[in-house]
Amino acid sequence: MAELAHLDRAVARRILGGDDAAFRDLFDRFFPRLYRFALARLGGDAEAARDVVQQTFCNAIERLDSYRGEAALYTWFCQICRNAVADHYRRRGAGAARVVLLEDQPNVRAVLDALTAPAEDEPETGAWQSQVHRFVEATLDSLPGRYAEVLEWKYLDGLSVREIAVRLDVGEKAAESLLTRARDAFRAAIVELAGAAEELATPLEPQPG
Amino acid sequence: MDKPQDLVESLIRTAGRRVEPPEDAYRQVFTAAHQAFRARTARRHERLWVLWAGTAAVLVLAIALMFQWAPPGAGRAELARIERAIGVVERATGDVWQPVGESALPLTRGMKLRTLASAHAGLLLAGGASLRLAPTTEIMLDEPGRLYLSGGTVYLDHRGSVGTGYRIETPAGTVRDVGTQFELRVALGALRLRVREGSVEIDRAGQTLAGAAGEQLEIDALGGITRSRIPATDAAWQWTEMVAPTPDMDGRPASELIAWVARETGRRLRYASPAVEQRAATVILHGNIRHLPPLSALDAMLATTDLEYALDGDTMEIRARSAIPAEP
Repeated sequence: MAELAHLDRAVARRILGGDDAAFRDLFDRFFPRLYRFALARLGGDAEAARDVVQQTFCNAIERLDSYRGEAALYTWFCQICRNAVADHYRRRGAGAARVVLLEDQPNVRAVLDALTAPAEDEPETGAWQSQVHRFVEATLDSLPGRYAEVLEWKYLDGLSVREIAVRLDVGEKAAESLLTRARDAFRAAIVELAGAAEELATPLEPQPG
Repeated sequence: MDKPQDLVESLIRTAGRRVEPPEDAYRQVFTAAHQAFRARTARRHERLWVLWAGTAAVLVLAIALMFQWAPPGAGRAELARIERAIGVVERATGDVWQPVGESALPLTRGMKLRTLASAHAGLLLAGGASLRLAPTTEIMLDEPGRLYLSGGTVYLDHRGSVGTGYRIETPAGTVRDVGTQFELRVALGALRLRVREGSVEIDRAGQTLAGAAGEQLEIDALGGITRSRIPATDAAWQWTEMVAPTPDMDGRPASELIAWVARETGRRLRYASPAVEQRAATVILHGNIRHLPPLSALDAMLATTDLEYALDGDTMEIRARSAIPAEP
């Protein structure tokens, strides 16, 4: 984990040093997830999600030299995004209906943060009790590396292991192994999140903010 | 099939595909974030430059006082000017390498310039051509129209320059351009030439080879030659956009920006109609695109107009967002 934190710090340093390629790579990796992250917390308001993610990137870049690598870089971006969402609701006034998500509950968030740390992804949105889609989406977004893509290629696009291997430019055995690890990680995440959700059936202490 | 696999598959199938952000949201957020990134980088380089310049000035003054020394190169003709420096870029007279900042710095005869890992540099050569250095590249300026590439990758855009073609001397041969855009890479005695536009000649071991637009020539250390194709819009050219010289577009017609972006990205330009072309020639732009990559600059500038663009293979088409009223 220390090595991965080191990698995230290295990415931050490269961006601070003006490395355009590092910036573009980070943007391409984080933008879709942050967009979904914001969209779910803004009740599906696409325009607000776009503005909030834009504010998130601008704020994050301004403060990037304060990133110390204690959390995964994406987790750090998510925290800034949460603040931007809160700012959005503040601007709209107290009457605006605030969306509270299951994964924003501390125990569920802890599971998602733990998943994030090993490989730079983080939690996202979802409503376990009412929306399978959001729950699965959040779980997929929390998986490390390219696990989520591999699972979607397999089960939604119907690609064979050989076709996945070609896309990843790896051998078939490596692709099969990656697919197995992705399935295991997804299954473990679902089980952990389901457990955390059950705990929520008991009353929670009021959350600050 | 075992149970756990069923669970994974059925959940993912039931949930369906994750939401993909709309393309226009991507572009808008990228443009804003990239501007923030560039502004922050520029401020940081300025701070470092001031720090370094202050230290250097004290040192130079001290040395000059000690040895009554006149700076080398003083009064010499300027052969190039550093327009952009991203990452660690250093210049040297002799063997003493010093970092350069974002400011436009002159380079005179005999000076060397190098980019370290991940760094890029953009130079304006005497005569007006644009020379760009990829990471881990070293050049020496020899005389007007001639430079020495000891290793790494450079890109030369001759357009807008005056005079005859440029000569680039390398350990693997001499390259002469004939009004063109091309990339030249030299490493371990081998040479790779990619021609984006125009034509280029290589003199090597008493033999002259010609490379035409869309061609890639690779000459290995033993003289073996391989020719292949490389389109003007190939992703391999993208690094050159990072240090492209950005023209001052404030008060200029949109058509000038559009033509510049099309050229920098290697795309053919097409207007959806004569009315759109006329519109682009009359819309006057306001603002600064300094240090923005070409497509980001176009995003930022066209956002305030009734024009938009679409990329279609190797073509960039300019369209109207809504019907353009007829000229009175």
